[in-house]
Amino acid sequence: MDTILFLSHTEQDGKLPRAGLEALGAAKELAQALKATLVAGVFGKVTQPAAAQLAGTGAARALAVTGADFADARYATDAAAAEALSRAAAPTIVIAPGTSRLSRVLPAVAHRLGGRVDTHATAVAAKDGAPTLTRWFYRQRMEATLKRTERPWVVLIDGGCHAAVVPDGGAPALEEVPVAIGDAQRRTRVTGFKAPRSDAQTIRPDAKILFVAGAGWTKKQADGKPHVEEAEKLILGFLGATKASLGSSKSLVDLSGEGNAVLTFMSHLNQIGQTGATPRHPKGLATCCHGEEPHVVGWRFINERRAVNLDPNCGWARGKADVVYVADAFEVVAKVNALLK
Amino acid sequence: MSGYQIVVCGSIVPDPLQTLEPVTGPSGPVLKNELMLPAVLDPWAGHALYEAANLAAKTPGSKVWLVSLGPKAKVQQVMMAVGQKVPFELVALDGPAGGFVDAHETAAALADAVKAIPGIDRTKLLVFGGWESASRGAGATLQILGERLEIHDQFQGVDQIAPQADGSLEILERVEGGQHQISVVAGPPALLGWATGNLPEPRNNPQVGMANMRGIMPALQKSKPAKVGTGDLQYLAVTLPKAQRETRVVKNMPTDEIAREIVEWISKD
Amino acid sequence: MSNENGAIISTPEPERQSMEVDIACVGFGPAMGGFLTTLSRGLSNADGTPAVESAVSPGMPPQVVCYERADGLGFGVSGVVTRARGIRATFPGLDASQIPMATAIKHERVLYLLDPIGASRRSAALRAADLGIKAWGRLLPWYRDHALELPYAPAFLHKKGGLVLSIGQFNQWVGEQLMAGGQVQLWPGMPVSQPLVDGDKVVGVRLVDQGVAKNGAPDAGYMPGMDVKAQLTVVADGPVGAVGRALDERFGMPEGHHVREWAVGMKMVVDLPEICTLPEGTVFHTFGYPEPEIFGFMYVHPGRVASVGIFVPSWFDSPIRTSYLYLQHYVQHPYVWQYLKGGKMRSWGAKSLQESGKRGEPRLVGDGFARIGESSGTTNVLTGSGVDEAWASGAQLAEGVLELLHAKKPFTRENLEAAYVARRRASWVEEEGLVAEKARDGFGRGVVTGLLGMALSGMTKGMLNLGPEPVPPHERLGSIEGYYQGKIPTAEVARIRDECRKKGQSLAAALMRRAGWPDIPYDGQLLVTHQDALLVGGKVQAPGGYADHVVFLQPAVCESCGSKTCIEICSAQAIAPGETGGVPAFDREKCVHCGACLWNCTQALEGETTNIAFRAGAGGLHSAEN
Repeated sequence: MDTILFLSHTEQDGKLPRAGLEALGAAKELAQALKATLVAGVFGKVTQPAAAQLAGTGAARALAVTGADFADARYATDAAAAEALSRAAAPTIVIAPGTSRLSRVLPAVAHRLGGRVDTHATAVAAKDGAPTLTRWFYRQRMEATLKRTERPWVVLIDGGCHAAVVPDGGAPALEEVPVAIGDAQRRTRVTGFKAPRSDAQTIRPDAKILFVAGAGWTKKQADGKPHVEEAEKLILGFLGATKASLGSSKSLVDLSGEGNAVLTFMSHLNQIGQTGATPRHPKGLATCCHGEEPHVVGWRFINERRAVNLDPNCGWARGKADVVYVADAFEVVAKVNALLK
Repeated sequence: MSGYQIVVCGSIVPDPLQTLEPVTGPSGPVLKNELMLPAVLDPWAGHALYEAANLAAKTPGSKVWLVSLGPKAKVQQVMMAVGQKVPFELVALDGPAGGFVDAHETAAALADAVKAIPGIDRTKLLVFGGWESASRGAGATLQILGERLEIHDQFQGVDQIAPQADGSLEILERVEGGQHQISVVAGPPALLGWATGNLPEPRNNPQVGMANMRGIMPALQKSKPAKVGTGDLQYLAVTLPKAQRETRVVKNMPTDEIAREIVEWISKD
Repeated sequence: MSNENGAIISTPEPERQSMEVDIACVGFGPAMGGFLTTLSRGLSNADGTPAVESAVSPGMPPQVVCYERADGLGFGVSGVVTRARGIRATFPGLDASQIPMATAIKHERVLYLLDPIGASRRSAALRAADLGIKAWGRLLPWYRDHALELPYAPAFLHKKGGLVLSIGQFNQWVGEQLMAGGQVQLWPGMPVSQPLVDGDKVVGVRLVDQGVAKNGAPDAGYMPGMDVKAQLTVVADGPVGAVGRALDERFGMPEGHHVREWAVGMKMVVDLPEICTLPEGTVFHTFGYPEPEIFGFMYVHPGRVASVGIFVPSWFDSPIRTSYLYLQHYVQHPYVWQYLKGGKMRSWGAKSLQESGKRGEPRLVGDGFARIGESSGTTNVLTGSGVDEAWASGAQLAEGVLELLHAKKPFTRENLEAAYVARRRASWVEEEGLVAEKARDGFGRGVVTGLLGMALSGMTKGMLNLGPEPVPPHERLGSIEGYYQGKIPTAEVARIRDECRKKGQSLAAALMRRAGWPDIPYDGQLLVTHQDALLVGGKVQAPGGYADHVVFLQPAVCESCGSKTCIEICSAQAIAPGETGGVPAFDREKCVHCGACLWNCTQALEGETTNIAFRAGAGGLHSAEN
């Protein structure tokens, strides 16, 4: 019989990250489908608050590695904690959220356990009594369902792919798993975080809507001149009013990178598609974008998509968006901003 | 400090702008016309290579190796472009570069290749690579490689490395919320999986090309076949997404009305 | 400030690196493939020791470097049928299955396509012929789907025993072997801006500047293009190549020679529909539609893939000759569409063809340089064959160069004449090129005369030819108003021109629609917008840090130009009406480097040069199957 270990770090407040609750939901469902034993394992500086979040998941055991050494996302200590929890639970399957912290260490932990790992899973399921996994290949351009025979099988689930569990009932007692940390594991110190400038516009994973700005914003308009300053004002106005996440096409980011007089708040962090991100948001509005695969993979995971474009046959819009407004984005966004005020 | 030994692991991928389609090959899924598609150095590995060259140029006594796994003819093709960019010594592994192989097998082959580089000194070793790839996007190969090389200071989503006066290295990694986590590692050995970094693509330099090519051709000639496969992976299905949506094309609608409709749509939960 | 070749020289002159090699080569296409393959085989002995010695690195074999403008060796643009005589001479046991997309030619058809729409401009003679065919066609076994298959096609049109090739894949295949041999270095993504000329001697090449703004001014990461000094410079940069044209300007063309005949070849590579049963190796040549002057083709590769395209020649006197629109109409011709319907465009591309052939032959050699391939006048305009001739010219040069290297003779004009030119003159390339030299002159008088002229030249082995000596394209092209006289009133042309300028669009779509051409029924598969075509199968790429390679030399000349054929002919909509409607705007991110703007500019400056400079530029299409 399978044993499924749900594995996650805690946040500074000792609770699970949102992606952790989602992965926990996936683990719980998979355990039910496989009639497997579910074990939970958490690690962090503080872990007790997470116990309440495990309530009602049917976890047979709840393990924890707790202590100041596990406060920061550091490879050596995180790997030690995750390894210890895994050895204590002796799972056949490990389900974990694909946070930056776990993505950094779990592949190595899988190797230490003599198992196998798959990251960026979008779903796990049971088929004929065996677990299967779905993930994308070639930058979200093809989707595969696969399984493995080697165990333990460590699976990292991308955020936004599963409903989060809602705790129900009493918190299980956490069993502390001891982990000894030596100086060799403290060669790295986390010294802080660098937040984007407050006026910088980045991908905001929690935003309801993704605003995609294409290179068209910097091109000549009907009067034969580019209006970059106006474009900046309009885009920032929209982002301010909607708290939207800002994504951009590669061509626009590249233009910015070469020191052209284009949207000054744009950087490679904004790029979606191709070598950029494929963020998940309920809605997306593409403006002045033009492109085909693989650019359009940038909004592979956007549920509702609309586009404003002068060309109704544009590859970003036709067949890719739910609605395309054939109109001048400058005019439309100006009006939208006015209405949002 | 007499410089770093920077080993960059970089595979080749089909030019990301090509049309890609999966088909079933003799041992699992492959890309249609895989060997016909023009190949490039994986974009993230490219960033890692340029960062490595930049770090090496700033740190006298440093050297850069590029360990590349892929079909020999394709690696050769890619080296014609990459070889003009920055100085490096190529270590070529003749094996598949497709996205459907198992990261564990790739990591094992890379680890053997790194260990076999003559004169590698752990106290100077920095292993670089891309934290993602345009093929498998495993997000796992480097970590496993690091474990196999017993490097337990690893970083992923790196955008910056800055050597400090005391020999330590300050590293910026991408984390959630558009932030960078700042870490300081005491010194090599360390493994860094790069995001995009901050460097522009280097210019093509014919002299760099001439110098590199003296080593590239012999490296290709003596490249060993690497047994890399799908391991225990079994693919049940590989499909292209149903990309087509029923698009409602709205023409000739007054701007006011379009704006009103969009605002209504945005506000709806 | 510019030098005599029109190349921008930044002021003050920055420090420029240089290096020395034995042989510097410009452009990697079939001619260079033939040259380097043949040369490589002779540089070393079987035991690996140098067979001949480098002059710049004594004790080593000669240092041979080849610079290719495009980002990959296979990013050429052509799908061809070729008799492959020259190629097979180099590779006697050639197995086509080793080259992706290559196959032996099995069936050839020559078809006259009638106009099923009624929008093309046909002469009275042609209209009468069409009426006859339509009236009697159903009695003919060769007539169906508005197409008449010629029951007999002259031998010179056949490519029997030849190959269907993708030049992109062929180039890659050749390049792989060259690289693996290790005798020569191939560097794609490295445009050569100009030859280095010292007195009357070519002493190497200068690479393009990098890290410059669009106007060529130094910018972030400025790196002046390196000077590559060479004992011999081999120029094979094609009909619109910057180095070849600079040599033509510097040394002049031989008496009576000129390059006035051109065509845009544009094609798409198509995944044929499942139901299509055309066997691989099937070849169609067509004429008559979408305009009588436009020739078309379809070649079936292995794996249910076809190359389908058209040639829009310089003697098609429409000032709005936009190839992409015509290509879309062409593929919808009932005869072609029956095979393509349900297919999907995999990639697309365009290139200029030098159609002057032997008459366009420049000075083949001089002190320190030699010319091979298309820009050296190898194309046979009667048989419509170029790849094979180009390859053969390269192989001939290599034999000559090896001979000189063995004899330790310098690469002077006299020595190259004796070692290379003499070989070429004695070969089939020359013999057949002479037959073809005037074969197309008849097209200067119209399509029917042109076809008759070709037949006459072909049958009489070039003894008899029809038609006048060609004039430069800019002397042929009239005004848009004149072209549409009787079809579209002048005032309406003016209105359409004004509307299009405001929208930043070319006139072609609006004028063709007005002239009776139906709208394209986009299906997102085979019939896609021009802009989408730029994005399929590899997309146009334009790396930053390079100067624009299309430059409008004298703004005032553009301001007063009425036709602006450059905008209409542009294969990729990279040239569009400018801000004020005067000087067109150039967008490098769309340019496929076909060079059609160069020979379509109607504004002559001096001699036969026009107001558009087409320089060496980086980027272009990233498709390796064209």
